[in-house]
Parts: sequence; structure tokens; C-alpha cells
Amino acid sequence: MHRWVVLTCAVALAVAGVGAQSTAGEQLSRGQAFWNQRLAKSGIAALEAAANDPATAAEAHEALGRIYTFKGWQEESVFLGWHDEPSVREKALAELRAAVAADPNRASAREALRAAEGFAAAESVDPAPPRPEILALDAKLQEAGSDPKSASDPGVILAAVEARAAAQADPAPHFTGAQLLIDRAFYTQAIALAERGAAVSDRFVDENLSAYQLTGKSQGFFARGRAAAADLVGWALFLQKDYTRAKDKLEEAARLSQDQDVVNQFHLGELARAQNAPGRAREHYLTALSLAGGPAPLRQRATQALSALQAGDPAAAGGFDAWLDAELSRRRDARKAAALTGLVDRPLPKLTLTTVDGRSYDTSGLRGKVLLLNFFASW
Amino acid sequence: MPHLKASFAKYRSDPNVAFLLISIDEDSKRLQRYLDEMKFPFPVARVDGAIAQQLMGFDNTPTTFYVDRDGIVRYQLTGGEAHGDSPNRVPWFIEQLLSQPKSR
Repeated sequence: MHRWVVLTCAVALAVAGVGAQSTAGEQLSRGQAFWNQRLAKSGIAALEAAANDPATAAEAHEALGRIYTFKGWQEESVFLGWHDEPSVREKALAELRAAVAADPNRASAREALRAAEGFAAAESVDPAPPRPEILALDAKLQEAGSDPKSASDPGVILAAVEARAAAQADPAPHFTGAQLLIDRAFYTQAIALAERGAAVSDRFVDENLSAYQLTGKSQGFFARGRAAAADLVGWALFLQKDYTRAKDKLEEAARLSQDQDVVNQFHLGELARAQNAPGRAREHYLTALSLAGGPAPLRQRATQALSALQAGDPAAAGGFDAWLDAELSRRRDARKAAALTGLVDRPLPKLTLTTVDGRSYDTSGLRGKVLLLNFFASW
Repeated sequence: MPHLKASFAKYRSDPNVAFLLISIDEDSKRLQRYLDEMKFPFPVARVDGAIAQQLMGFDNTPTTFYVDRDGIVRYQLTGGEAHGDSPNRVPWFIEQLLSQPKSR
């Protein structure tokens, strides 16, 4: 990532030496290319620079207006964790009006402005649909995984990852590709790809920070990308029988996911079993099963492994199922207690509430009662 | 939210318990549409999201606070339910607080 920043600075310096017009033109195409990859922050910065030059102002304002239109009305769940940003809606309209003002004959800007005004007046706006070209590249990546040639040549999968990654900058192709490479026993390539995926994920979240709206959400997605990468790397190392390094990576993934990832806990269980540490293996399998979700076959394997570990143990004399139930509910209770944080044991702060239609909300009826306050957002 | 609805049914007529949903939505239309769709049986209020996050010290939604009869926050829980046992949770927290006497 650092290398990329240095490179950009070098490019910017080189461009500054050339005529102003080509600088603006370059900024414009750079900005558009960034946004095509959904790197919003870099795209907006380059387009804002291009908007300052009369030669590229109309086109740059239109591009900015289209980005803000997307962010304001069409961003909901386009990527996991993304939400509409109502605060940029005014900006969308202003940029598109600026584009039309800069070049009144620009038909595409007029059309974009009409669309945004329509959104502003609409009761609801559907999120932007998935882009067909990206879906096609995702499908190609899956095909590469089942291509017979990929059994002997990791390049088939890697080329499909590169093509998809060049089109859109989210980390999904890296993680999908790493899993496909693991399935084909190309562990070294899988590790390199998953590690790159961690850096790609960091950058993608950072470039789109405002789309996550709450810091807890963006932090969660930073951790999620890093955890996915660490778990893939650790699992590939495990399959290479490099147990020492596998343990480091799988445990790193566990810290990042706060022990709440079923697959990662299962991987840790498998590792501990291979290392002849039945106590640790039991803990991880139990943690995995005490969490919701995860693929059914994996849950089944965890249950079987536990049952084998418990065979002959006096603790499970009353029957494996009863023992398992008791262990799982003990874990859920412990997690419940650990989740309590923040304002606990402090007086409820005074909040200014309004009704849904904006009148002031009378809270006097709540005094002296046990209260459940649930803060939520409809998105 | 379905588990909140189920739990509310149990306490609906209990004068010692109140549920309040507080939306941090900026977009009124979206909120209204969501409420129309969800048909919550309990009251819903709105608050400025940034101010609420600062005062209440949460950084993600949904976050639930359980407040005792003296106005002290006793439990704070954030996030989706990874453990699959939410329907049993809400009443558990409320019962804890109902079983402690009011001091003021």
C-alpha cells in the first residue's frame, strides 16, 4: 500500500510539470477510472481537481454528481455494510447543476440531473443493480476453479482473479481465488493471494469509509477482511503441515473475529487435534458450535470430532448430546456476560427525542420503569 | 427485531416495563417506509444519530440499553445476534431488573 502511495505522488509530480490542460484531462480520466473500480475517495479527489479547470469542468462535475447520486440514493447494500448517505444528496444536485451550467449543451449531464431530481422527489429509490461486467468476471473466476487445466496450473485461477480485481477493487476475488487455490493444493500461491487480499480489503474500506456510516461498522469491515485473509493463510499453512505458522495465523484470525467465526474456530480445532492437543481442540469445536451459522457439513464434522474426543470421558457419561447441550449453553451465557459494556452502571443521559413526524417526544411516562431502549437505523 | 416483538407481547400490559425504539435515521421517508413495513407494536422515537452516539457511547446499530427503575443503565448490547438465543435474552435482562427493588 505504501508503494502505491509513493507511486501516485510521483505521477502527480510528473504531471504537474506538463501543461495545465493535460493535467486536468489526466485527473479526469484517473478520477473516472478510480470510480469505475469503486475507489470513491481517490476518484472524488481527482475529479474535484479536474472540476477546477474550465476545459474539464462540465465532465468532472457530471462525474462527481453521478458518484454522489449513487451514494445518496442507490448505495444501500451494494456492498456488504454499505448504506445510502442522505447527507450528500444536495451535493449530487449541486454538482449536476454545475455541470449543466459549465456546458448547457451537455445532454448526459442534463439527463443525470433529471434522474437525480426524480430520486429526490421519489418515495423510494432502488439500490444500483449489480454490474453485469463484474458478474461476468465473477462467473469466469468460478469457471477457472473448475477448469481441468487449473489442476496443474495455478495461473488459470490467478489470471481470472487479476481480471476481476482490475475491474472492481473489493477483496472478494482474492479470497475466492485463495480458496480455489487451496482446493487445488496450490498453497504457496493461495497464501500470497490471501495476503494481498488483506491489503486490498483495507484500501477498499478506507476508500469508501463514509458508506459504512458508523465507525463500529467500518472498523468491523476492516477486521473482517483481515480475519478472512489470516484464516485462509493459516488454513493453507495447516494443509502444508506447517503447524507453528498455521497457529499464529489462525489465532490472529480468531482475535480479529473476536472468536466469533465458525469456520475459523473449526480450523483451530482441526489444528489442535493434529497437534495432539485434545483439550484445546475440544474448546475450539465447542466455540464453533456455540456460534450460529457456518456450513452444515462443517458443523457436522465438528460434532463428530467432539464425539470422538469425548469417547470414554467420564464427563460425558450421561450421554454425549446432553453434555454437548450443557457445554454450548454455558458458552453462550459467558459470551452474553462479556458483551456488556459502555454506559453500564451509569445514569441514562438526557436525550432530546422527537416523534417520527418531528414533534417533541414526551418521556415523562417512562420514569420509574424498567426500560428497554433499542437504537436502530432502518438501513 | 422479531425477537423484540415477541418479548414485547409478554410485557405489553406490565406497568413497570416500557420498550422504546429510537431511530437514528436521517432519511424520514425511508424510516416511515420501514415502520410501515415492520408494524412495530411499541413506540418509536427519533434522535440525532451523532448526538446519541456521543451521549450513549455506541458506535453501531442495533444497540440495546436496559435501564433499571432508578434510571441507571445496567446492560448494553450491540450488534446482530451471533448466538441464536435472542428470544430468551430480552426477558432475561428485564427480569433481572424487575427483581431488584427500586431505591429512589
